[in-house]
Amino acid sequence: MRHRCRQIALRLWFVAVLALALTFGVAPARAGDPQGQLTWGVHVTLAPTWFDPAETAGLITPYMVLYALHDAMAKPMPGQPLAPSLAESWSASEDALTYEFVLRQGVKFHNGDPVTAEDVKFSFERYRGASRKLLHDRVAAVETPDATHIRFKLKQPWPDFLTFYVSATGAGWIVPKKYVQQVGEDGFKKAPVGAGPYKFVSFTPGGALVLEAFEGYWRKVPNVRRLVLRSIPDESTRLAALKRGEVDIVYSIRGELAEEMQRTKGLTLKPAVIIGMYWLYFPDQWDAKSPWHDQRVRRAATLAIDYATINQAITLGHSRVTGSIIPDSFDFYWAPPRPAYHPAKARALLAEAGYPNGFDAGEYNCDAAYADLGEAVLNNLQEVGIRAKLRPLERAAFFKGYAEKSLKNLVQGQSGAFGNAATRLEAFVANGGAYVYGSYSDIDALFREQATELDHARREAMLHKIQQLVHERTIYAPLWQQAFLNGIGPRVKESGLGLIPSYAYSGPYEDLTLADK
Amino acid sequence: MTQYIVRRLGYSLVSLFLLSLTIFLFVRVTGDPAVLLVEPGASQADLDAIREQFGLDQPIWIQYVSFIASLAHGDFGQSFYYRTPVFELYLTRLPNSLMLALAAMAFSLLIGIPSGILAAVRVGGFWDKAGKIFALLGLSVPSFWIGLVLILFFSVYLQWLPSSGSGTPLHLLMPAFALGWYFAAAHMRLTRSSMLEVLGSEYIKLARLKGLPEALVIAKHAFKNALIPVLTLAGINLVIMINVAVVVETVFAWPGIGRLLYEGITFRDFPVVQGVVIMGGAMIVIVNLVIDVLYAVIDPRIRLEA
Repeated sequence: MRHRCRQIALRLWFVAVLALALTFGVAPARAGDPQGQLTWGVHVTLAPTWFDPAETAGLITPYMVLYALHDAMAKPMPGQPLAPSLAESWSASEDALTYEFVLRQGVKFHNGDPVTAEDVKFSFERYRGASRKLLHDRVAAVETPDATHIRFKLKQPWPDFLTFYVSATGAGWIVPKKYVQQVGEDGFKKAPVGAGPYKFVSFTPGGALVLEAFEGYWRKVPNVRRLVLRSIPDESTRLAALKRGEVDIVYSIRGELAEEMQRTKGLTLKPAVIIGMYWLYFPDQWDAKSPWHDQRVRRAATLAIDYATINQAITLGHSRVTGSIIPDSFDFYWAPPRPAYHPAKARALLAEAGYPNGFDAGEYNCDAAYADLGEAVLNNLQEVGIRAKLRPLERAAFFKGYAEKSLKNLVQGQSGAFGNAATRLEAFVANGGAYVYGSYSDIDALFREQATELDHARREAMLHKIQQLVHERTIYAPLWQQAFLNGIGPRVKESGLGLIPSYAYSGPYEDLTLADK
Repeated sequence: MTQYIVRRLGYSLVSLFLLSLTIFLFVRVTGDPAVLLVEPGASQADLDAIREQFGLDQPIWIQYVSFIASLAHGDFGQSFYYRTPVFELYLTRLPNSLMLALAAMAFSLLIGIPSGILAAVRVGGFWDKAGKIFALLGLSVPSFWIGLVLILFFSVYLQWLPSSGSGTPLHLLMPAFALGWYFAAAHMRLTRSSMLEVLGSEYIKLARLKGLPEALVIAKHAFKNALIPVLTLAGINLVIMINVAVVVETVFAWPGIGRLLYEGITFRDFPVVQGVVIMGGAMIVIVNLVIDVLYAVIDPRIRLEA
């Protein structure tokens, strides 16, 4: 009897210890389990719309959350501009009217529901972000023959379908249909469920987003247990938080603060060259009375700019001077010769064009947030005799004026829109583009032709030719492909910054690691 | 009295109507929010879709009528950036702003009132001069500079306090000081001038002639009367601290209403800017209304003159 009592007591003791261990997590962590926490000091305020791929408005910033919470059919990944993700493969029919995707087997959402073709169809139909109209107008039907196959039927051949579906919009990021219908649109933003490497834990508006590793993620189990994205809008405060170890990674530190970060022991500057392009545009080049009508004057302007020094001063030399208005990571990109700084040649060209003493070039319009770049370029132009007045405009007013074609003389333009070379040329070069003040008939003809060309090689040749003409005619003076300067603290081993080509933020999150203690 | 209150209420409603009209028009002349909600270079179709979604493609008078109609039902609209009702956003941030404003107010009164009294009592002396320098610095040094200096000193150099964010009493210290600094100077100046006025009045002279101890004269007779305008100002200042601590809340990443307003302005989030300004305006109007009514209750001459 005594022996039996002891047995019972021993069992109770064992159960109690086990319960305590499970409750308070004192069980030893298995090797490979996610561990630790990484905290970011984010430069913008996080919005709940970023938790929902359907709301992706063509801005790059929401992707810092989408890459954690959700997964896409295909997405840019390290070394691959379009890596199969939820879709393990896809194919297009010969007439380019049907695209078929095959889903990866066994992939689950955070709530345990499997990712099915119905979810893909639902996510596409529910999508209401950037290029929604374009996508919905051109797709005739979405068919789901079985749980792992999805077929997109187009109304007419559209060579850019993949670009828009899986890379330039959030339409190819998949949400769980059953869950969204169960909790409703607002409920989904408050407690999002996705198929990404991290699960939603909590969100404090204006404060922080907390995420926890999803151990069932198909690609790999994330290394870091918890991610915290803290919104710290002030640049100096972000740097202070990094110095103090309150955060491990900070986004967007520029100029002198970036230099200070570089000097601080234990901190590392980590630049990421993004798809944000900056250029100088000559909107008066189609006006025969303007000095800018003469290509020699435009060419002189490109030779007057000291690209390397400006790059060093503002982005510590990390931006990329490519000579193009199209990001070098875009499909159909053509690499022009690198622009050179040659003020003597610039003066000679101006004299040849009839302006030996230079000329008054009017206004240099720019987004006030990038007036530092404008000032530097303006000083260079001034040195060769092109005298202009800086006109920094508040961002909304600048883009309103740019799009309404009301800006004159010189415009410092910029774009970070997704897409490929064709979509950039459409907005900034071809006739009718949102920011096009004038165009050239041969370029317009080529542009129209490429839009219906289904042969990739032939289309590429046409788009290369257009970019070559843009360069030869000096329609633009491209300034740089911007480097986004970030900082990392000593606790971080792999920050994910720069792993995905042209992507500004950390990613893929499941690859991030903490430094060994 | 009833007539007086009704008239004051009428003035308040007219003020709020004018405020709503002004802010509605002013935010719309600052630019198109659609261009800030997409990347530069986005297609015209995307810009048009955003304008349509938020009703910005409608004529301005239709937008105003719809805004007023919603406002009448207590609906401030939905934020363009957050896609959440503005009132809900406001209420989420309100506790943080209240906490910060109350701490900053406590600091400003604790510093401002004693230093103001001291300056008035020792007029022309060391404390008065020191008070003047304090007032000058308080009113002229911008709060973002104070904030950054505090962060560099207490967070980065001494490592005593967290640089930003919220959640613990330690997070509150620096923002409360940075916000309260300006108001402490304002309260100090008003306390000083109010005390000087009271100290020069006949009943104070009488109290002194009666041989009352100076401390009693100051504390019991002068201070109580000098405090009325200071507390009136403090009431208005509290509303300002709650609603427009834009710079301090941004520097310290404090998730309050001031930062919400900053985000609204940055993204041309019209409903947010309108909502915050109207809520702030309504609070000021209500505080003023209550003060007017209280004055009328205390002083019959006011209601008779009215």
